[in-house]
Amino acid sequence: MDAQQNLATAESLLQPFTVGAATHAPGRLDAVIRPQDLTAAVRALIDARWGYLAAITGLDHPWPKPPKVAPASGDSAQPAPGPVEDRLEALYQFVNGATVATLRVSVPYHDTKLPTICPIIPSATLYERELQEMFGFVIEGTPDPGRLLLPDDWPDGVYPLRKAFGGFGA
Amino acid sequence: MDTQQDVRRKFVVPIGPQHPALKEPGHFEITVDGEIVTGATLRLGYVHRGIEKGVEQQNWAQAMYMLERICGICSHIHATAYALGVEALAGVQVPPRAQAIRVLVAELERVHSHLLWLGVAAHEGGFDTLFMYSWRDRELIMDVLEGLTGNRVNYSCNVLGGVKFDVDDQQADAIRRAIDLLEPRTEHYLKVVTTDQTLIGRTRNVGKMTTEQAERLGAVGPTARASGVTRDIRVESPYSAYPDFPVRAITATAGDLEAKFIVRLQELFESYRLIREILDKLPTGPLTVRVKPRLPPGETVSRVEAPRGELFYYLRSAGGVGPDRVKVRTPSLCNWGSVLATAPGHKLADVPMLIAGIDPCFSCNDRLVTIRRRHDSDTWTWARLRQYGIEYYR
Repeated sequence: MDAQQNLATAESLLQPFTVGAATHAPGRLDAVIRPQDLTAAVRALIDARWGYLAAITGLDHPWPKPPKVAPASGDSAQPAPGPVEDRLEALYQFVNGATVATLRVSVPYHDTKLPTICPIIPSATLYERELQEMFGFVIEGTPDPGRLLLPDDWPDGVYPLRKAFGGFGA
Repeated sequence: MDTQQDVRRKFVVPIGPQHPALKEPGHFEITVDGEIVTGATLRLGYVHRGIEKGVEQQNWAQAMYMLERICGICSHIHATAYALGVEALAGVQVPPRAQAIRVLVAELERVHSHLLWLGVAAHEGGFDTLFMYSWRDRELIMDVLEGLTGNRVNYSCNVLGGVKFDVDDQQADAIRRAIDLLEPRTEHYLKVVTTDQTLIGRTRNVGKMTTEQAERLGAVGPTARASGVTRDIRVESPYSAYPDFPVRAITATAGDLEAKFIVRLQELFESYRLIREILDKLPTGPLTVRVKPRLPPGETVSRVEAPRGELFYYLRSAGGVGPDRVKVRTPSLCNWGSVLATAPGHKLADVPMLIAGIDPCFSCNDRLVTIRRRHDSDTWTWARLRQYGIEYYR
């Protein structure tokens, strides 16, 4: 139950997939993960029985406010952020005792695809549906892509939690 | 794909759609084969109000009042989770007396919420006497909360950096008197739910969820603790005044509806003990500390134990006078999954109790139910489904 040890375990589990990590508060670990490594990273945490998925939070980072991604470790092969562009970010927040480990994946507006994690964590379906309709993520392979929260007659392609959305009035 | 024959055999019973008290009104489609449930799906959002979007247009202080209105039953805990996050972003320490008063109100809220649930769960099973008694007793706590805060719901106890009101000796005595009355009654209810044969017939071995299932489904709060999962944020990650006033996590192992009754009722005793302890040892000192209107950029996660389980807030500040993003994950959202997973194999008549078992804040019981067959449809109200369950077990 030692928080430090918990976080150290999470850090080492996630280490193979992490392109940038930060601890900005006691008991918190943020690991920046590339979208293609997401399922493997989630699998690593779950296989080691490291806590449970508490939430998936979507964030919209329209230009000129790119996400603060820790700089990649130097080599040019990293596909990480690069040029300033409109991006979406998803935070996969895992909780273990008093500690929270967050997997941060970020995708550009023109390619918002993320793999589903439902085969590993079935209860993630609700969060994945929320990401799709609120932010316009495309969760590939998610078991139920239907509407969760928005009305049936909500227009396609309008994502209410993006910053650009200000309502349907004037 | 279903074959023609399968489709004819399969009836879908949509249960829902909405009750306006809560952020998660559910619409369940229960697939039945005769009386036995074979599957269940969920559609949310009938009264989705866009509060997460709404608070992005508010300043830090205004947002709290909006978030407090997410739930009319556990409003205080929403405001507390948010206030803890804002205070962490602002880097301020809330005075000990304010922390204790926050916890005091949170535990009073838990008591009224659990008693409310006891009544609702009893009502769904047709045990209206228990329903009437538990709701009568709940009024004691509602009066106490009104006396303390001026409001029966949405107490508005918090401000950013502290609490709004103090607790004087007269109020403390009123709270003690209410708890003294409630304790023996709770003992009686615990005896009823564990010995009354008609009640046990509806709850024992119904909706069983194993520890593994509860963990895998991400269940939280009493729903998880009834299955032997020790998830209680007050114990795991004590916040506010809980480090000074520790609580014991109440668990049971059976994982059925009866265990959910037992866990919630036993938690009431723990809350009574804690309320008395806080009143006896209320720290002295100021009630608020100043929080500047503009917070530095940053993000934080705050987690609290609401009556229904872990309430999770993510707050992001871009350095402005209001939040850049607030994500709220309420405990009911986690627990819906447990209904969907445990319903198959049960009788349709058990569904009202199964849904009530996770305590999804029922406030509006008259809900529309449609029995959909292949070519015709028959509309049921929630009351009719409930009656169906009661008649079935008569």
